[in-house]
Amino acid sequence: MRTTIGFVFAALLAAVPASAHHAFAVEFDAKNCSDITGVLTKVDYQNPHAYIYVDAKENGQTVQKTFQLSSTSNLKRGGATLPVMNASVGKEVLVRGCASRNGEDNRYAASFIKLADGTVQRLGQDVEGVFGTKVWR
Amino acid sequence: MKRFLGLMLVATLALPAAAAAQDPAAPGGAEKKVFVEARGNVTPVPLPPGGPAPRMADGKVDLSGVWFSGPTGKANAWSVVPDEPLKQDPVPFRPEAAAKLKSMTRAELELNNPGVACQPVGTPGMWTINPYPHQIITKPGLYVHLIESDNAWSVVHTDGRPHKPADELEPLYNGDQTAKWEGDTLVIDTISLDERTWIQGNGWFHSDQAHVIERLRRPSKNYLEYQFTVEDPKVLTKPWTSAWRTYSLGNEDLTENFCTNNENADQLRKLTEVEKSK
Repeated sequence: MRTTIGFVFAALLAAVPASAHHAFAVEFDAKNCSDITGVLTKVDYQNPHAYIYVDAKENGQTVQKTFQLSSTSNLKRGGATLPVMNASVGKEVLVRGCASRNGEDNRYAASFIKLADGTVQRLGQDVEGVFGTKVWR
Repeated sequence: MKRFLGLMLVATLALPAAAAAQDPAAPGGAEKKVFVEARGNVTPVPLPPGGPAPRMADGKVDLSGVWFSGPTGKANAWSVVPDEPLKQDPVPFRPEAAAKLKSMTRAELELNNPGVACQPVGTPGMWTINPYPHQIITKPGLYVHLIESDNAWSVVHTDGRPHKPADELEPLYNGDQTAKWEGDTLVIDTISLDERTWIQGNGWFHSDQAHVIERLRRPSKNYLEYQFTVEDPKVLTKPWTSAWRTYSLGNEDLTENFCTNNENADQLRKLTEVEKSK
């Protein structure tokens, strides 16, 4: 089914905060989010989006999970500096991720991470509304 | 802590009626949704007006400062309070422009977003598509606008000089710009815009006839306001003027933000194929 943009477009025309690079909810499924635990293997800080990679165990196999984060500007201002993130590389973390809608497995938008030291750190848009803000940003 | 987080998540996810839970007026709405507390979340606290706006040597308002969208003087991207929708008229698209927009899926629309392709956001995109703070430097006769999005800038004379002659104009992302003061409002006039830019981050494309008039004012020391008008007879049935948008004075420096490698474009192409196949 070809989803037209009528409703969403009207809503965006009315709202458009000067905040969003673009809407994560287009790419990622707010109804398919989960907690993923694994070893943080790499932090790749770039723009417009940073990425982290986590090796998770699934049925005894190691599966690499890719998480899209916000921008370095938002991450740094929110406290998720590269040194803060790198401190958990090689350690177990928990990431809240919403799956890609394009059928590509193991690719998610991350909303937050529980770092190795237990800190819960915001990483991206509120795709599923867990922080109290609307899904569409 | 792990258990705490788990409980938070369970509490959050166990409440599927999120919309009702967020609406205190919802029927039987005593249910209170529990949200995840994370470092980086922002609870907005508006700045006070801060006194009168400073003025330059020529008596004009000095717009200089690092300005954040919203009233907090800080990055608001991860606010835990939803944005208030702007109160403004619908954009009067010509029927063929509206039809073109409606024919596109969300993924196709995003794929055409200049920001997704790491393209310059241009005018008025430096305000409307840029989610990061703005540094403005004004001097008598000059306006300098610096943004983090791809480290873009624009420099405009504010002496009311005319645009370049028609035979010297070329399409530019920021366009051919001139500005003048109308009282305490700086009015920036832009023509000759490159058609690859958007007016807003919602698919609003424009033609080579687009004429953008931006207005900036500083009602008090801590606040900046921005409004823009678009005339574009090939896309709009009549000119459209935005609501005034509020920005507030921060005390942070801009940070480097070059757009170098957006994987979204490939991801969105795949999504487009998935959507078309259904």
